[in-house]
Formats: sequence, structure tokens, C-alpha cells
Amino acid sequence: MKIRLTINNSIVEREVQDHKTLLHFLRDDLGFTGTKEGCGAGECGACTVIMNGKAVNSCLVLAREADGAVIETVEGEAADGKLSPLQQAFQKHHAVQCGFCTPGMLMSIKALLRINTKPGEEQIRKAIEGNFCRCTGYKQIVEAVLDVTGQLDKQEELIHE
Amino acid sequence: MLKEFCYLSPATREELLDMLAEKGSNGRLYAGGTDLLVDIRGGKAPPQYIIDIKKIEKYHILSWGELEGLSIGAAVTCSDVAGSAVVKAHYPLLAEAAEHLGSPQLRNRATIIGNLCTASPCADMAPMLLCLDASAEISSKEGGTRRIPLKELFTGVKKTSCAPHEVVERIIVPPGMADSVGGYEKLKRIKGHDLALASVAVAKKGDRIRVAIGSCAVTPVLLPDFPIDTPAAVIAAEAERSIMPIDDIRASRDYRLFMVKVYIERLMAALQHAQ
Repeated sequence: MKIRLTINNSIVEREVQDHKTLLHFLRDDLGFTGTKEGCGAGECGACTVIMNGKAVNSCLVLAREADGAVIETVEGEAADGKLSPLQQAFQKHHAVQCGFCTPGMLMSIKALLRINTKPGEEQIRKAIEGNFCRCTGYKQIVEAVLDVTGQLDKQEELIHE
Repeated sequence: MLKEFCYLSPATREELLDMLAEKGSNGRLYAGGTDLLVDIRGGKAPPQYIIDIKKIEKYHILSWGELEGLSIGAAVTCSDVAGSAVVKAHYPLLAEAAEHLGSPQLRNRATIIGNLCTASPCADMAPMLLCLDASAEISSKEGGTRRIPLKELFTGVKKTSCAPHEVVERIIVPPGMADSVGGYEKLKRIKGHDLALASVAVAKKGDRIRVAIGSCAVTPVLLPDFPIDTPAAVIAAEAERSIMPIDDIRASRDYRLFMVKVYIERLMAALQHAQ
């Protein structure tokens, strides 16, 4: 069955098998390997993408369901060789260690920032409760989000610079 | 890669009911996928057909009316309910309970009715909907439409009274339970997303208190109604008689029993405090 969808502002049309997940469609068929497979069961959030404006676990979406959908992945973040402001904030605050959870984290946070441009720490933590970071860099991730939304006070910034 | 199955997505209710009449016993209804795809990936044999109900527009309806109360369609997600102005205005306890299910990603996909139809004893949507006196509207091609109290949907661990050729089309929460006060407490191993080890919902409306418990028996358990002046200890004692929690890798029977009592006391104290 052929599906047609928008991925990072480009229209894609492909044949897919009924039992293929969106995650495997993105990775294996399209080469968007930024989206990771962790648990494959909706626990870890490494495969998080934005589908029609909402963060979802792409391991629990069938590619067929994405027919007509608008999908955003980590590959849509950087433009013209320049990281997005959110990615730059992650870099600045050392919010990346092994990096496996990062694409999913970025997508969950991007979805949050669409509905809340100045989320507090609790709201940020709640938005990433479905994204596991096993290097345990949550503090740095929260700080990166506070910074990119202009909520980190100067004192805290100095510690990091 | 998942094992092979055939994906079907009927565009109308009639098409769906025909499909279920013909293929129901070899198929599974599919909405959010957050239970079914996990099972298939975990090694369970997939059904021959996965029947996605999300193309059916009327299943996306979440509406409120003074006569009927709240109507939740089969494709309405937990995020829809948690974020709905109508639900927050009339059934704030339900909006709050919906926030407890899984993670944001799961809530964006998991449907209220899917959570109920998976019929896990720990289903997060069950206790509060039981307290709110919800009923389930079930349809099939031959049998037409029937409505049952939600309690009668649950028949065992992951078993429901909805037959393979039937579909739960709507959950209806009656207007009589609108503006209930109370709360939902869920015991988890971590602060982040986890299944309930035990859960308690309390809803007070008019002269009665309703209490339901999750994760402590083969089905979610609704206790008999209590008069509003019932002491927490009496409710806790009734709860202990009505549930049969198990020992497993996630929690012991004793811990679950203890925490159910703690949550009942806590929720009842909050009710008293609010008065």
C-alpha cells in the first residue's frame, strides 16, 4: 500500500507493508536514523517524533497510520548547517552525553514549547517523563530548556560558562 | 520488525460493523496501539487483521449535554480528555485521572476506551470512570446497540464482555455525577511513568461517596456506595474485604493492601478538608 506524508516539510510517497512501524519506516526505508529504537515498547521515548503536532512513540505507530500525516523528526532541527536554538542550548549546557535519548528529548520538548513558550521546571520534567536518559543528565536538559526560553537567571548561567 | 498482519481502516461505522461481523474473530480493534503493538512486539501472535477505528469521524467526538452527560467516542485519547475544557468544567476528576496514564507520548495515542477494553486490572481510566457511574455503549451488526454499566465490561484479567464482533463505541458519564469532588491516587515505583501498583479513586456527589480500586484484583473493583459521613476506616475495611491483591515482582500483597488504606485515608481527609 502506498502512503503519502510530509516529513520535515518534504512530501514523501512510498510503498509500505502493513506491519511496518513508523519508526522502522523512517529508519530503514527513508534513512532517517536520527530517530532511535530503544525499548520498542513505548517506555523509553528514544523513538519520539512529532506527528500532527503531538509527540508520539514512533515504535507504536504503524506507518500506514501516518498516511496524510505531518511528521517532524530530529533531522528537521538543524538548517543550513546550523543547529536549532534548542540544539544549541543542549550543547551549551552539556545536555548530551551518549546522545541516544537526545533526538527523542528534542522532539518532546519541541512539542511542549509549541503549547507553552515558558514552561517551568515541573512542566519540563513532566513533558519528558516518557523520555529516559540513562546517563542521567536530566538536570542539564531542564537547564537547556530554561535557557532557550529565556528563564535561566544570569547567576546560574555564569556557573556554566 | 513486527510479525505480519493485515491492516484495515474502515471509513464508516457501517463498514466497521460489517467487517467485525465477517472478520471479528480473526481481528483485533486498534486505536492507539499502545497495548496491542506492545503485545505483538513482545511475541504474542498477531491477529490476522488489525482494524483501525480512527478513520471513523464520529468516534472522535467528545461532547457534553445536560441530558446525557459526557460522551467519549472510541477514538478519543487520554490527552483529549485531560485537555478538554468541557471535561475540566464538568468532570475535573476525570481530566485529572487521564493525566495519570503513561507518559505524554502514550497519552497522545492511547484512547480512553482502548485502556478500558484492554481490561488490565491496573487500567488507569477504570477506577474514576467506575466512580462516576459510567456506562459503555456496545454495538454490532446483528445485535444493534446495547448499553451496560462499565462494571459489567470487566470480566477478568484482560477479558471483557465485549464480543469479537462487537465494538465499544462510546463511554457515557451521566450528568448526575458531574461536579463530583474527590481524587485519584496511584502508586508507582518511580515518579515518572509507570503502571499502577495500586490505585484508588474517590468521588463524592450529593449524599454519597463512591470508591473504586485498581491493580488489586482480577478486575478494577467498585465498592458499594457509602453515605457521606462514613469514616475513612470503615471504607478502608470494606476495601480490604473486596480486593485480593497479588504478590508479584512489582509489589507485595501486603504493600498494596497497606497503600490502598493510606490512599483512602488521604483522599477522605482531603474531602473533609475541602468542606
